[in-house]
Amino acid sequence: MPDITSVVDTLDERKPYIELKQAKSSGELACDNTSIAGSMSQRACVYSGARVALNPVTDAVHLVHGPIGCASYTWDIRGSLSSDKETFRTSFSTDMKELDVVFGGEKKLSKSIDEIVELYKPPVIFVYSTCIVGIIGDDLEAICKEANERVGIPIIPVQSEGFKGTKSDGYKAACNALMQIIGTKEPEITSEYRINIFGDYNVAGDVWLVKPLFEKMGIQVITSMTGDATVDTISKSHGAQLNLVQCSGSMTYLAKWMQKEYGIPYTKVSYFGIEDLAIALRTTAEFFGSEEMMRITEDIIEKETERIMPEIQAIRKRVQGKTAAIYMGGAAKALTLIKGFRELGMEVVIIGTQTGKREDYKQISYQVKDGTVIVDDANPLELADLLVNQKADLMVAGVKERFLAYKLGVSFCDFNHDRVIEFEGYDGFLNFAREIDISINSPVWKYVGSKLGDSNSGSLEIKNTNMSAEQNTAESRKVVGERSNMRDIDIITLQGSVA
Amino acid sequence: MSERNYTTVNPCIMCQPIGSVMAFKGIEDSMVLLHGSQGCSTYMRLHLAHHFREPVDIASSSLSEKGAVYGGSENLKKALKNIISRYDPKVIGVSTTCLAETIGDDISRIISEFRQEENIGDERIIIPVPTPSYEESHNSGYIKAVEAIVKTFTLEDSNKEIFNNKLNVVLSENISPEDTREMKHIFTGIVGHNSFILLPDISETFDAPMTGDLHKIPLGGTTHSDIADMKNSAATIGLGITNDNRAVNYLEHTFEIPAQNLPLPIGLEYTDMVLNALSEVSGMEIPDEFQKERGRLIDAMVDAHKYVYGTKVAIYGDPNNVLGMLSLALENGMHPTLVVASSKSPRFAEHAIERVDQVKPDCDVTILEDVDFDTFNDAVRKVKPQMLIGNSNGKYIAKDMNIPLIRFGFPIHDRVGAQRILTLGYKGAMRMLDSITNTILEVQDTEIAAKWSEPESYVPLGESNFHSAEA
Repeated sequence: MPDITSVVDTLDERKPYIELKQAKSSGELACDNTSIAGSMSQRACVYSGARVALNPVTDAVHLVHGPIGCASYTWDIRGSLSSDKETFRTSFSTDMKELDVVFGGEKKLSKSIDEIVELYKPPVIFVYSTCIVGIIGDDLEAICKEANERVGIPIIPVQSEGFKGTKSDGYKAACNALMQIIGTKEPEITSEYRINIFGDYNVAGDVWLVKPLFEKMGIQVITSMTGDATVDTISKSHGAQLNLVQCSGSMTYLAKWMQKEYGIPYTKVSYFGIEDLAIALRTTAEFFGSEEMMRITEDIIEKETERIMPEIQAIRKRVQGKTAAIYMGGAAKALTLIKGFRELGMEVVIIGTQTGKREDYKQISYQVKDGTVIVDDANPLELADLLVNQKADLMVAGVKERFLAYKLGVSFCDFNHDRVIEFEGYDGFLNFAREIDISINSPVWKYVGSKLGDSNSGSLEIKNTNMSAEQNTAESRKVVGERSNMRDIDIITLQGSVA
Repeated sequence: MSERNYTTVNPCIMCQPIGSVMAFKGIEDSMVLLHGSQGCSTYMRLHLAHHFREPVDIASSSLSEKGAVYGGSENLKKALKNIISRYDPKVIGVSTTCLAETIGDDISRIISEFRQEENIGDERIIIPVPTPSYEESHNSGYIKAVEAIVKTFTLEDSNKEIFNNKLNVVLSENISPEDTREMKHIFTGIVGHNSFILLPDISETFDAPMTGDLHKIPLGGTTHSDIADMKNSAATIGLGITNDNRAVNYLEHTFEIPAQNLPLPIGLEYTDMVLNALSEVSGMEIPDEFQKERGRLIDAMVDAHKYVYGTKVAIYGDPNNVLGMLSLALENGMHPTLVVASSKSPRFAEHAIERVDQVKPDCDVTILEDVDFDTFNDAVRKVKPQMLIGNSNGKYIAKDMNIPLIRFGFPIHDRVGAQRILTLGYKGAMRMLDSITNTILEVQDTEIAAKWSEPESYVPLGESNFHSAEA
């Protein structure tokens, strides 16, 4: 195992989770374990996994059985969009108090369910259990079953006690909940070719840039889980002949179950990046084996690629050769991002995930160049070290990592809940490229780390004294020490982007 | 929605541990560790990062099933050890969560065991704060942590040391970093530099200048020597009057430091009250600078009075912030129709009613506390305010009712600059008033434009007669 101490300083216990890829490295990374106490993991809990995977079901009531915090922090946090009902953006909680903890929260939960059914008339209620429920022993299954019979709509328990495992266990809990709905209604069949989109959460409307492509190919998309899904479409999803799984970490479990239960095969795809998107469309067309469909597919790929390519090329010129750090929740997104960056002429120097499995890291290791650092369940200090030592120009991650990158003068792209623009599909990739361009080439980075009195702190001085600006940059680096990754934006780019 | 008794829909409060985190983030060289499952710390980091737009590190003891069954002592000790080795903080606040409390972990005992086992020296201060999430709210978590911090730092030797003739200023509710800076500006101006101790102080820790360096623990915060010195002070001012400021009470009872609790200085009169008290306590005259600031505020109030008078407004958020904003609205002739405090507090309603009676006794105002946003939204629909003042979570009803929302308080996750919102002092009042007035003017502009863009609405004098005569 190559030594990682040259690029990162961390706890001994954390070292097996970090690898510097070299020609002979095995790609065997320690992973899929609970986080080390006090390591400042970026991960959340079982409940959070269940919540992010299930919450986008738009017309369901998502009821959190627990103290108020768990509901407060997860109220409308994912940028998933709905084409119809907005019930999922409302936060429901049993708001357990001390007395409920002492005497049990079962009664309150039952009454809460009755109340919600009367006031909101939802098609289904998902009841999430939190840490405390697992300790005081409220029988969620029994209460939900009883309520189900009483109120006449599915009341589905989501067994997501925060401490009982990792975020991945939460995904499973969400899938288990979905299984209760699938197959409960007969689908209306409008095409001889039918699929489900799995593992797409319709963040910023992603699904809406993908679904039309399949429809153009003559395919009926029965449901997209769980982004923009309704209880109705989920209940009919067994009518599909193929499940396309994007976020494999969260939804492969469900896809496997559908294969076993309904004989529906699944395949892993990605709708991000020109190459992966084309593969997704072609694989689907090949699965159905219709020549007409294959022709349409090729036509879509050709026309759409041609349409976005001029701008992609222009952006490529502006970002080529820059380096990227990827830190994602799941491995599927991390993997597809490697290709996406390659399409923009950028190189990945750090790649990590919160929930990657052994097999995922092997694939990642296969995809990245020597000298890339691969990391599982990283923490802020490791990421900061890596960003500096691996000389990353840009980081792609979520909110917790954003301000860390900014403080180090590293540009940032949010590929997580907070995103407000679509990154999937052809227009989505164009959006992504534009965002990368903006992030890297903004003039603001020039000022990070500058001080009053530095002659390189503004564009005014640069025009006059080119040489001394460089000298000064070198000088200020020496002073601050750790700022070795501060970028030099060449003057032409800077002036260009200002103008 | 109609009457609900068992379900909370869109909560106005957060749980106690996040309040504790906010307090510890105002202490120099400190780190917070939440004893519970991994999710709690991550969720709070997200929530705080969204608002302050700064890196926020909160450690977790990452309790798993094993810890939950056999007790979390092993996890907590390991977490402490790892944090010391990686962050080397001088102060570690250990807050509990619902999980740790329910399994019955005694964190004080575990911490003293840890100190012995690892031979931790006196220079490292570890402060336990029990903050079960099923009790009260983030507001009480804040108060409890501040109390625990003061107690720990002054416990060493409960006798007074050398009288320092300083003024303690202890917050009982979170204020923005910009507001904290304004407070320091006021205290420095009146009682003098180095003559007061403000606790907690998030002015730098949650709003750090960009230098190109990343500090493991953000710089700034109330210094340890200052906190330890609080027992030697001449007087204490507690800021916030709706809740019991436990640290203030403790300092008063244990060290006989004369104390008074004052409202957050929001609006003209509450700011006057705080400045007068400062002058009285310190024996210093109020510098001309503040007379000028005050004069400018009154000038601004006169400039704005026609636009804001009678504007129906709903104000919501944490109790002391809301009370202050209520006062500001009343002073400017606005009509606060709905005033809502996120959490229950012993004296919020009493003070709110008192303030209404003092300034505008005929004002019809609904006062609520400890409600969720669903109840708040219903109340908004009923009283039909023309404007909302509060945190981001009012955006749904604001959009629904097509009325503007002026953001202040916590959390603000959908706009930039939450850390720089200024509401305290004369300057803060001016800033808020300008913002309120300009929002009203903006709405008026739009309404006027809409009115006159309709072709039928403008009929030149005489012409209508002419037309009707023809017809």
